[in-house]
Amino acid sequence: MGDLLTPDVGLTVWTIVTFLCLVAILKAFAWGPLLKSVEDREARLRADREGAERARAEAERIQRELEAQMAGVQAKSRELLSAATKDGEVLRARLKAEAEADAAAIKARTTLELAAEKDKLAGDLRKEVASLSVLAAEKLLRKSVDAGVQKSVLEGFFKDLDSGKKAGSN
Amino acid sequence: MNFEQILAHHLVDHKTSHKVVATLGPLGAVDMGLSPLIRTMWIACAVAIVALTFAARSQSSLARVMRSLFEPAALFVRDDILEPIFGHHAGHYLPYFLTLFFFLLTCNLLGLVPHMSGVTANPWVTAGMALCTFGLIQYAGVKEQGLVSYVVHIVPGGVPLILWPLLFVIEVFGMFAKCISLCIRLFANMLAGHVVSLAFLCMIFIFAEMSKAFGASMIVPSVGLALFIYTMDVLVSFLQAYIFTFLTALFVGGAVHPH
Repeated sequence: MGDLLTPDVGLTVWTIVTFLCLVAILKAFAWGPLLKSVEDREARLRADREGAERARAEAERIQRELEAQMAGVQAKSRELLSAATKDGEVLRARLKAEAEADAAAIKARTTLELAAEKDKLAGDLRKEVASLSVLAAEKLLRKSVDAGVQKSVLEGFFKDLDSGKKAGSN
Repeated sequence: MNFEQILAHHLVDHKTSHKVVATLGPLGAVDMGLSPLIRTMWIACAVAIVALTFAARSQSSLARVMRSLFEPAALFVRDDILEPIFGHHAGHYLPYFLTLFFFLLTCNLLGLVPHMSGVTANPWVTAGMALCTFGLIQYAGVKEQGLVSYVVHIVPGGVPLILWPLLFVIEVFGMFAKCISLCIRLFANMLAGHVVSLAFLCMIFIFAEMSKAFGASMIVPSVGLALFIYTMDVLVSFLQAYIFTFLTALFVGGAVHPH
């Protein structure tokens, strides 16, 4: 076993030379491509992760925008609904007022027409009554009266009638 | 053949080629002859190169499977060992530490394969690895801090000037001690598995010396225990590769960030 500890400088030199040559060879042929593939994969994973984070941030931004737009649309629809309700109320009130005004106008016009018709009928009636009265008086008096006298008598009669009517109404 | 001879036969490296003497500067004449251990180390290197290059470059389904095995280990070395220690400097040292981890792991596992030598169960191999760590500590310290700042910061700040030379010597010895501890830890842990496995298997022959029936009755428990230790060695192979890599990173990190 003593031989094991006998200095063997040649073996030590061969070990150093062999190892340093191996470092150079593996550095040239193996470590470069191997580490490059590792670094490429790490870079790809890093890029994928960053891409995924960017996509998530973009999705969150779009979601926030959509929520904001949705809130805006809801507010606008509420506003439009409220405006439509208000317009409807105004229109209803206007139409009601117009209808009421039309009804009042029709009523007033009808009243006037009725009054005029009544006056006309009353006039006609008075004339008829006067004719009948004159006729009756003529018959009673058996007296012939000419047209001029008849007219003046009628006028006087109507005047008396009107004054009698006013006195009666008072 | 006694137990010590069996152990020596399995664990001691024997030069198989003719003596090749090379003069290496201050080391003088060094025998650079080949041995089974060096060949096993080269096989481990070839396995690592082929497997890792194939996994890294091929687009086949087998390569994808192999990549899915190697990548978690590479990411573990990068994210859990280097980045907490080196921070943004991690990328510069990553190829060294990845190679260190996979080289030690391959050598450890290959040492468990029959007819292969336990490369990391030899102290002179682990000494070479520890020397590489020592060199990397000096390189990283000088590179990150500059030579003067690095030498000054070997001694912790706030030390009285009179104690500075003493502490400098102690710290330099500490630096060597760290590397020696790396060397011994890996060698001892990997050797222990082989020694215990061989001890369990030798129990059969030791008891057979007393009685052949007694020896035969020891076959099942001895082989079972040896297989258990062998399974533990697989776990220890991963663990020791991680520990050596982690401690190397810690020591180099201490030189890079002296505060």
